[in-house]
Amino acid sequence: MDFILNPFVTLLTFLYRVFGNDMVLSIAVFTVLIRLLTYPLTIQQQRSTRAMQQLQPELKKLQEKYKGEREKLAQEQMTLYRQYGINPFGGCLPLLIQLPIFLALYQAINMALAATPTQMLDTAGRLLIPGLDSVIPLNNLWLGMDLTQPPNLGVIGTSIESFIPIILIGLVVLTTYLQFRVTMPKPTPNADGKPDQAQQMSQSMGTIMPIMYGFFALSFSVGLAIYFIVSNTIGIVQGILVARSRAKLQPLPAVVTSTTTTSSKSGASGGASRSTPTRVKTTAKPGSNAARNNVKPAAKTSKAK
Amino acid sequence: MKVTQSRMGMLGAGALLVLVLSACVGGPLEPSWGDLEVLDNNLALAFGTTILQLNPEDGSSVILIDADGNPRTDPETQQLRRWEVGVSGQQVRFYQTPIELNVETLLAASYDRKLFTIEREAARITDTVGIDLPGHVVADVLQTDDLIYVPLSEKDVLALNADDYSQRWRFETTRGVWAQPLLLDGVLYITSMDHFVYAVNAETGESIWQVDLGGAVASTPLLYENALYVGTFAREIVRLSLDGDITARYTTTDWIWGTPVIADNILYAADLVGNVYALELTGDDFTERWRKQVTTRAIRPSPVVVEDRLVVASRDNFVYWLNRNTGDTLVRQDVRGEVMAELLVLEPSETMELSQPMLFVHTMARDNLIFAFPADGNGEALWKYPR
Repeated sequence: MDFILNPFVTLLTFLYRVFGNDMVLSIAVFTVLIRLLTYPLTIQQQRSTRAMQQLQPELKKLQEKYKGEREKLAQEQMTLYRQYGINPFGGCLPLLIQLPIFLALYQAINMALAATPTQMLDTAGRLLIPGLDSVIPLNNLWLGMDLTQPPNLGVIGTSIESFIPIILIGLVVLTTYLQFRVTMPKPTPNADGKPDQAQQMSQSMGTIMPIMYGFFALSFSVGLAIYFIVSNTIGIVQGILVARSRAKLQPLPAVVTSTTTTSSKSGASGGASRSTPTRVKTTAKPGSNAARNNVKPAAKTSKAK
Repeated sequence: MKVTQSRMGMLGAGALLVLVLSACVGGPLEPSWGDLEVLDNNLALAFGTTILQLNPEDGSSVILIDADGNPRTDPETQQLRRWEVGVSGQQVRFYQTPIELNVETLLAASYDRKLFTIEREAARITDTVGIDLPGHVVADVLQTDDLIYVPLSEKDVLALNADDYSQRWRFETTRGVWAQPLLLDGVLYITSMDHFVYAVNAETGESIWQVDLGGAVASTPLLYENALYVGTFAREIVRLSLDGDITARYTTTDWIWGTPVIADNILYAADLVGNVYALELTGDDFTERWRKQVTTRAIRPSPVVVEDRLVVASRDNFVYWLNRNTGDTLVRQDVRGEVMAELLVLEPSETMELSQPMLFVHTMARDNLIFAFPADGNGEALWKYPR
């Protein structure tokens, strides 16, 4: 982790010095920089999520058609993904890449602030820019709270300051919830009008994630809570921008209203199956936003192999 | 119904993920280290939540003796009672061994803002709640006949009356004090993480002078021939007159944490990326005799001089015996744990039943907590604790 951690600790310390020894400001600016750095990944993830959702009706049809034929189903699904230019792992990969960044950030905040001798020892040798030693140790107090410690909810009294920890946790939960809402597309019901179970499960993440992040903020450190709030706020803005660009799109009839004439025959033995041409009817125009949104309109007639 | 079950499943998975990630990143608690000291002719050590005493000759546990001179036994288990004190509490951590408050009582300061008094004979904490302090403690407490000086890790040094622990005065620093102050002729020399060295009237707490060293200082100053020597996080070794004038500076590769040592007019120090320095003190400035990269990991404790050898210990799990004239490594011993605490050398002693000079090393590994070596490094470890 040192290859991530050392630049993080250095950058945090550098920003601390640039912004007049203000640690909260440096965490906020640091977060903005990290979000900018991971912007392509975030956009890819959001687009992939939307595209996957738009393909759900098609996938559902395939599942029904190839019930009990796992290999064939997987093959057909991959063909469908290829047809629309979707990477089915496009939504997971950015998340996986962001996880070590999140872990490194938590450690970097603790190391840069170094409240204990062991943390201070761990900080030694990590500052890659000469001269930054002069600001060590960094000021870890903010509004009466230790940025390296979890928010203390046990000291709530009558003063406004005593409510800051609970406000902080509340903001983490709220911004996580809002970010989820603006980045996850609304569920669309199935043809039978019932909600899709997979989409419902995705939506339930909207309940889990805010609680989970609230718990993280409560368990780890005030500094991390600030990171969450700033990061989520940027995520909300990004989500709104992506959604706006999406709003200009025509509804994706290429997916929703497509008619499939795929049929399959089981072999005489019942074990093998033979793929047949798939025809997808689309109204999306070449070069439309649909194409730019990673969901490529298919040709009027295409053959699935 | 299915959806509800799925949602519950997702909530469960989320909770599991939280637990896993919590384990990955760790909580705020971390191991502490206290220095090895001699108490009642025994080796005393404080680490984590425990304080214990060992026989320095063989590393065996010290057994408590009753008023009649018989070994004490635990009434429930009938086992011999060892000199070991454990303090329960989530945040209790010791970075120092207890000091002798009086013939009957020891005093230990913990990271969790507490002072604990310990019955010396019974190895029992007098009041498990402890005496509240206004800050965490990671440095050794200093004691005189009537005062106890407590450095606080956030900021300030307290002077408490030894009889009732009431506050006599409080000297303010802007950042933490991570080292035991040095007391000399009624003046307390305080080094602070706020980059300053302070000279303070030990009786009244009034400031005499202060000087900015440009970097944090986490060690006690070394007094040698009317001058103070300190290593800083500004990558310097600095000499100060007792009036607070900087009279010499030497630039190092990385932060200096441990207090330098001086032998035969040569100063030895080590930095946190494994360099060791030998500087001659003749003349107005430091003259470099040699500097060696002994290891790539931090050397936190002060070096120790043993005859013609210099001993340093690192976070790389090794103790090194160097040639004092050249800095070449002569011997190294694997102690299977990171070394953060100060090294301790004891000379041969009849009262302690030590037949040869011995070097004691305290590591952060609970299975290899203490090693005893011949002080010159020749030969294998004499014992280790726990065995």
